[in-house]
Amino acid sequence: MKKMMHWGLSLFFVLMSTNAFAVADLNPEGKFKVVPAIMMIALLILFILVGVFSKAQNTEDYWAAGRGVGQIGGGMAIASNWMSAASYLGMAGLIYLKGYFAISYVLGWTGGYVLLLVLMAGQVRRYGKYTAPDFIGDRYYSTTARLMSALIVITISFVYSVGQYKGIGMMFNWIFGINYQTSVVVGTGVVLAYVLISGMLGATKNMQVQYVVIVITFFLPLFFIASKLGYFSAVPQIGYGAAVYDIGHGGNGISAAATDASYYLPFAKYTAYHWFALCITLMLGTAGLPHVIGRFYVVPRVSDARWQVVWGLFCIALVYWTAPAYAAFAKFSNLLGTAGTITPDAIVVNAAELAGLPEWFAGFLAAGGVSAAFSTVGGLLMAGSSAFAHDIYFRVLNPNASEESKMKIARVGTIILGVSIIVVALNPPALIAQITAVAFALGANTFFPLFLLGLWWSRTTKEAAIAGMVVGLVVTFGSMLIPKASILAYYIPFTSSAIVGVPLVLATMIIVSMMTPEPSSEIKELLYKVHNDE
Amino acid sequence: MNKDLNINFFKPVGDFMKKDVAMKKKLLVIWFVAVYGFLFLLKLVADPNKTVELTLNTGEKITQVSGVSFLTETQFLGFPFHYWYSSQFLIALFIFLCYVYCRFIDKLESEYDKK
Repeated sequence: MKKMMHWGLSLFFVLMSTNAFAVADLNPEGKFKVVPAIMMIALLILFILVGVFSKAQNTEDYWAAGRGVGQIGGGMAIASNWMSAASYLGMAGLIYLKGYFAISYVLGWTGGYVLLLVLMAGQVRRYGKYTAPDFIGDRYYSTTARLMSALIVITISFVYSVGQYKGIGMMFNWIFGINYQTSVVVGTGVVLAYVLISGMLGATKNMQVQYVVIVITFFLPLFFIASKLGYFSAVPQIGYGAAVYDIGHGGNGISAAATDASYYLPFAKYTAYHWFALCITLMLGTAGLPHVIGRFYVVPRVSDARWQVVWGLFCIALVYWTAPAYAAFAKFSNLLGTAGTITPDAIVVNAAELAGLPEWFAGFLAAGGVSAAFSTVGGLLMAGSSAFAHDIYFRVLNPNASEESKMKIARVGTIILGVSIIVVALNPPALIAQITAVAFALGANTFFPLFLLGLWWSRTTKEAAIAGMVVGLVVTFGSMLIPKASILAYYIPFTSSAIVGVPLVLATMIIVSMMTPEPSSEIKELLYKVHNDE
Repeated sequence: MNKDLNINFFKPVGDFMKKDVAMKKKLLVIWFVAVYGFLFLLKLVADPNKTVELTLNTGEKITQVSGVSFLTETQFLGFPFHYWYSSQFLIALFIFLCYVYCRFIDKLESEYDKK
């Protein structure tokens, strides 16, 4: 064990020395925090038990959870599937660092639901396909498009999960005092275990349980932090507003000299263009994320699919109204001069520590952060492995595959995906919310235009779909390779590449469609029925 | 088989789709203006004398307004108004827009016997 720790530690230093986003050890003394650890372990056992008791029986269950989930229940599942370590841990960290600019994360990740509902939810559900690649493969009558979109689903799941693994690793590190690397391996081992024994049915139940855990753990400490700092604590989501004002103007113990007006002023740190670019990327990405679109198939009626979005958004909003409060209270404590370290990605836990609350409060938050990451990774691994087993293996490679072999392939896919993510997560390339934003940019640049045109313009052709995906991939990954100091990097930041990507992909798809032969009348007829059956 | 099967968001066919698309357009306009129109407004009313210097990733230094205006200096529920508007009101508006659409489309679908 000691040898392993030593090996892990040296690896840690080798990897970290080359990385600007090195993960700070949150628990350098290696202290085992007893109460938080008990809370964490109890939660993990709960998740696994829920998974075991609602185990998937066959592939139909594994993918679409038997299509029998209610509106509110479905909304809670959407919310916890959606809210990841990026919402729970990362968002507050970014607001703390970047002030008003980072409110674009809050709006981007909620506003996208309006687009999703108005332009897609009902139509996608009515089209009646199981997964995003299934829709694309059928709508664009092309095996190539199906394969490409399945690979994109896997890539999105991969990138998105890296951020989540980082969150899990950091929280395990804080609770158990084991180093970050070991934490990533241990923590994600548990997620894999429960995704494998349960399926999406287990995962759907689990997501509801996890949502309740997320909300309780996120809300409770905030009352105490607000009252400790002397703000309106009955509804700390309102009370923090005065803290934002005081940060900029002084008051409540902050002297005029210590104020930081850049925290609340809209253009003090970034340009309006960048605010716009980031916000629109996250919104379009929300409407194009395959694991979110996939949730519409688990309800029996079209109307339920839509109401689920409303409930899901409400459940998400409860947490998003709260996250900026943590950032503000942490910033406030920081300006007051309270001693203590601050790691942006652990700001939620830091806020509780800085306010001088007992350790178990912070433990509560750490456990909630892990739940948030768990539920999202669960959904992502499901989406990724079903793309592999259903869309690639069953639909393309072996259409005669038995239920049993499909299940086996799905599990093998989950393991391969789950383990390979660990490798990248050991040396995370950016802050949690930024890594997640890249996954959104990819969703926005590829799936959003394909769904939008696919559903709303029957002239869109197979060639256009393929060309669109290629351009989307090039823009997303190209933006990461642009030298940081170039003018192009100014206009296409890697977290916000959809500002350029989506218009470019839409234009490409329209032009290519006009140049290639029209889709057959069967394709058009199906689409016509989706919009207008008489 | 002479029926026009083409589907185009900007050329809806049939009563149902026409009404549906008209509602969608209204909601999307409100949605866009509420979020990005407000951003534009913040820039528009900002005090031109209060500026900050930013260093861009290209190394170039630019001077821009920091955004001080009556929108940022008025307190609402303790918040600077714009901060409350963005971080709380807009999210509530999103939920409201979704709610309105769901009510609308449920009613429209039952009118046209569409499932």
